[in-house]
Amino acid sequence: MSIFSEEPRDRLMRAACALCAERGYEELCEADIAKRADVAEGTFAQLFPGGKEECLAAAENANLAEVVAAVSRSYAADRSEWENVVYGVREILDLMAANPSLAYLGYICARQMAPGKVREIYEAGHRILEAMLERGLEYSEDMGQPASAALGILGGAQAIIRREVANGHASRLPLVLPDCVYIATVPFLGQHEAMRLTRDARRLI
Amino acid sequence: MNAQQREMLLRAMLEELVGNGYGDASVERAREVAGISASEFAAEFSDKDECLFAAYDCLTDRVVATANADCDQGDPWPERIKVGLESLLQAVAAYPQMATALTRSFPGIRPAAYQRYVELLSRFEPLMREGREYSGVEEELPGEVELLAVGAAEAIIFAEVDAGRAQRLPGMLPEILFSVLVPFMGPDRAADEMRSAAVST
Repeated sequence: MSIFSEEPRDRLMRAACALCAERGYEELCEADIAKRADVAEGTFAQLFPGGKEECLAAAENANLAEVVAAVSRSYAADRSEWENVVYGVREILDLMAANPSLAYLGYICARQMAPGKVREIYEAGHRILEAMLERGLEYSEDMGQPASAALGILGGAQAIIRREVANGHASRLPLVLPDCVYIATVPFLGQHEAMRLTRDARRLI
Repeated sequence: MNAQQREMLLRAMLEELVGNGYGDASVERAREVAGISASEFAAEFSDKDECLFAAYDCLTDRVVATANADCDQGDPWPERIKVGLESLLQAVAAYPQMATALTRSFPGIRPAAYQRYVELLSRFEPLMREGREYSGVEEELPGEVELLAVGAAEAIIFAEVDAGRAQRLPGMLPEILFSVLVPFMGPDRAADEMRSAAVST
């Protein structure tokens, strides 16, 4: 279920993601990306004049677009908003499990390794997710949750995801769906309702 | 080198890393700051990487100890979490450069360095475990609830450090406390603790 095609541009992005997961951003170089992708260095320079940063930024853009598309596909009008959260999170975890190097790029490299453009795209994606979670306040009782509650939710879920990805266990990500559902819902719905949705999530694994 | 020189060297290496990036971080400059010769350095560390990893381990030990310090074991768990968090936030605000080394400069070196960051977060999980006793539901909370709480605090702290606003963190104690407590206690009681922390800070 790779999001990249066999065209040279996509092969370069796929190779850059894989090498980044193996070595990190600092030790990534254009020549190695081209070699891994089986694309001439000159072609790399034509397709990505900004070098590795531009290549990874393009990959992170594609990553983000795929995440948004996967969440959109999972939406069903006959489910409640919160049930749709469960299915949306499942789509993201399945997508990352099937693409470990993209998960590394999206959750680790773009956040804490890469500079400039790659980070900007990560931050834009993060803001979208935060805004989606902040909508939770509209569907819950106001219990005095602070403005940073949505950021805390994302941080909790992403800490688990980053641990699995950093330890080379991205394939286990679908198993953490119940934990992610719990943290996404408990600040807004309270523990009883969050646990009910968590039980539903367990049945989806 | 003596213990004081070693500490100065490790700190200077992290400052080099934050200030100049991994590629340009200079062992020579760090040695000069600490007053350590090349042979003294070589007797302890095989290269820049070994020194940087030692510096990071030393820093993370200190951070974990800070979170544990000042906690009266007789106090209820939410109060102990508040006190530990307060100490941590004050330390981060006081040493923003070390906070950057902790969260971005070092973990960003390569995957092996990043794993140290993952391990750091896991070291806070035992502090959270008692929170399960404060749950408002009878069934067992999800298996990863401790890391959910640690990750929530980390995300808010990371965002402020990354934006160059580490000095704001002590004032954000109440809302960070909410995010740490909410997986264990639910929003009502976590908000009560948040409000009470806002009054006392």
